[in-house]
Amino acid sequence: MSVIYFLVQQTMFFSIPLLIVALGGLFSERSGVVNIALEGIMVIGAFAGILFISLVQPALPGQPVLILAIVLSMLVGGIVSIAHAYAAIHMKADQVISGTAINMFAPAFAIYTARMIRTVQQIPFVNQFRIPSVPILGKMPILGQLFFTNTYITTFIGFGILALSWVLLYKTKFGLRLRACGEHPQAAESVGINVYKMRYIGVAISGMLAGLGGLVYVIPTSTNFNATVSGYGFLALAVLIFGQWKPLGVLASAFFFGLLKAVSSTYSGFEFLRALGLPGYTYKIMPYLVTLLALTFTSKNTQGPKSAGVPYDKSSS
Amino acid sequence: MKRTISLLLAVLLATSLVACGGGGGGTQGGGGGSTTTETYELALITDLGTIDDKSFNQGSWEGLVKYANENNISHKYYQPTEQSDDAYLAAIDLAVTGGAKLIVTPGFLFEVPVYAAQEIYPDVMFVLIDGTPHDATYSDFTIAPNTAGVTYAEEQAGFLAGYAAVKDGYTKLGFMGGMAVPAVVRFGYGFVQGCDYAAAELGLAQGSVTVNYHYTGEFAATPEAVAMAASWYNDGIEVIFACGGALGNSVMAAAETAETKVIGVDVDQSGESPTVITSAMKGLQPSVYDCVKAFYDGAFPGGEHLVFAADNDGVGIAIETAKFETFTEADYNEIYAKLVDNSISIVGDVDASGGSVALEDIPVTIVTATEIKS
Repeated sequence: MSVIYFLVQQTMFFSIPLLIVALGGLFSERSGVVNIALEGIMVIGAFAGILFISLVQPALPGQPVLILAIVLSMLVGGIVSIAHAYAAIHMKADQVISGTAINMFAPAFAIYTARMIRTVQQIPFVNQFRIPSVPILGKMPILGQLFFTNTYITTFIGFGILALSWVLLYKTKFGLRLRACGEHPQAAESVGINVYKMRYIGVAISGMLAGLGGLVYVIPTSTNFNATVSGYGFLALAVLIFGQWKPLGVLASAFFFGLLKAVSSTYSGFEFLRALGLPGYTYKIMPYLVTLLALTFTSKNTQGPKSAGVPYDKSSS
Repeated sequence: MKRTISLLLAVLLATSLVACGGGGGGTQGGGGGSTTTETYELALITDLGTIDDKSFNQGSWEGLVKYANENNISHKYYQPTEQSDDAYLAAIDLAVTGGAKLIVTPGFLFEVPVYAAQEIYPDVMFVLIDGTPHDATYSDFTIAPNTAGVTYAEEQAGFLAGYAAVKDGYTKLGFMGGMAVPAVVRFGYGFVQGCDYAAAELGLAQGSVTVNYHYTGEFAATPEAVAMAASWYNDGIEVIFACGGALGNSVMAAAETAETKVIGVDVDQSGESPTVITSAMKGLQPSVYDCVKAFYDGAFPGGEHLVFAADNDGVGIAIETAKFETFTEADYNEIYAKLVDNSISIVGDVDASGGSVALEDIPVTIVTATEIKS
């Protein structure tokens, strides 16, 4: 049983950032803008958050710093994504190009700024944010062990965002309008929806979530930030497609990837996997191989937002 | 693809930084003529990280400063703009322009830059810590008369760490190295043999002490490394010897969560995490001190490969800050004395004929070492 607890806890560390970032991508694509810049925005968000933690931590330790860092990461992520939105929506640029530009800009900016401030590019921080056991909930049988011990506040924020996203998309007027803009912007415009505004909002939400995702990715797994999120932004895009642009689908696929990632790094701690004697690379390939196969076989039935990636031009409708 | 992009950006960044520095300082390039107002005889070029990295830079710098202060010699350290052979060479150039007579370069990343620099600046002495100068293709290993290469008997440091841990009652241990480079391999093999030696002294049954053995593939803190260390701890491993720069931080992060132990490496890492019970150390400070002293005494060991081992205080474990239950300083001194008089033979990364040694070939009787291949 302890093996299962352990594996679930490890899976969380890998899954939650993927979940958050893929949900960000979902908002953007549902509004009709492809956001390939998730990776870059994650880097910028993590950079801002970690730098803040590193600077403020000596004066103000504990969870409040994390909360402030989360707000900051979201803010900065949102701001960067507006650049992408402007290019994609107002300038009608190729959305892949401006996304790629941000992806290239982000790590360079993070390294450059870190060097300017601290002369080295790594930003160290002390992880004081782990919650060994949530009061009361942690004592629950089974569930307490699974979800409420050895966890982070960010895990619950991730689930909160999931619930909020679902409600927002399917139970509110805003959600319906956002989705309409991604499917058929001309139709949306014809009933008086401001497509530009909806798309800006969609991209800004994706930027905020990607920025947060970057921070959430770095905190439980490292002791310093080195201007990278190891391709998790791109993996989140795969999660989004695999999850069929639906919040619950994204949840399932994020956990599926997270589990594979967790197994690939922890196999050597399990007697029965060690006994198989397979080389470590077998496990490391798994998440990517499965992604490739899954996308190959499901892509025929893939239902993306019809107008995602197509700039909307009022005059040419 | 991503690699290429980041490389490209790094180069761009470096050139812009160099451009800025050149403009401001005016020490570089063809300007020449003007004499610098101050010169520094002793110089150190930092490796990755800062001068206060609690590791190679700091340890070497302390040795240099110690001698400089005792004898009132001007000294200064230079920080390369980035980690690349060119940037390291540029920093060496800056140090020479700044009047350096002896330059200390801590870390094996300086092997190629020093190989080039020793020919460019024949009048400047180089002390290369933890490495041997060679060209970029590993084909030529010429060490010039103005360079001293310093290496350490890591297998002895590893041995001491393993011995102390098993003597202190640990029976399920782990070794995590960054990459299988010679220094790391020596640490690891020494560690396994130290465990075995202690187990034999304690009269433990065969197979009652186990060592998980793995190279993660990079000297970096990664989520994967944390997860792997966490899984080992979850599997019952009590202490992991983390041997690979920032990788150690990953292992410490996992140990803090699992409330288990870590053995540090290179320098006393007890300040980095409360989970560090001891560290397998290289005597950076004394070895740099010795080299600088030899230079001023007119006996610079140029062209030589110096090996610092137990017999010249070149290796050891952190015993004053150690968190052992039963293993005492007296026990440590006893085993240390055996290393000093060479009564224990420890197998390193290569055998007598120069062939590389595999983990299975290490002579152990009680310990079961399982290599987890990546």
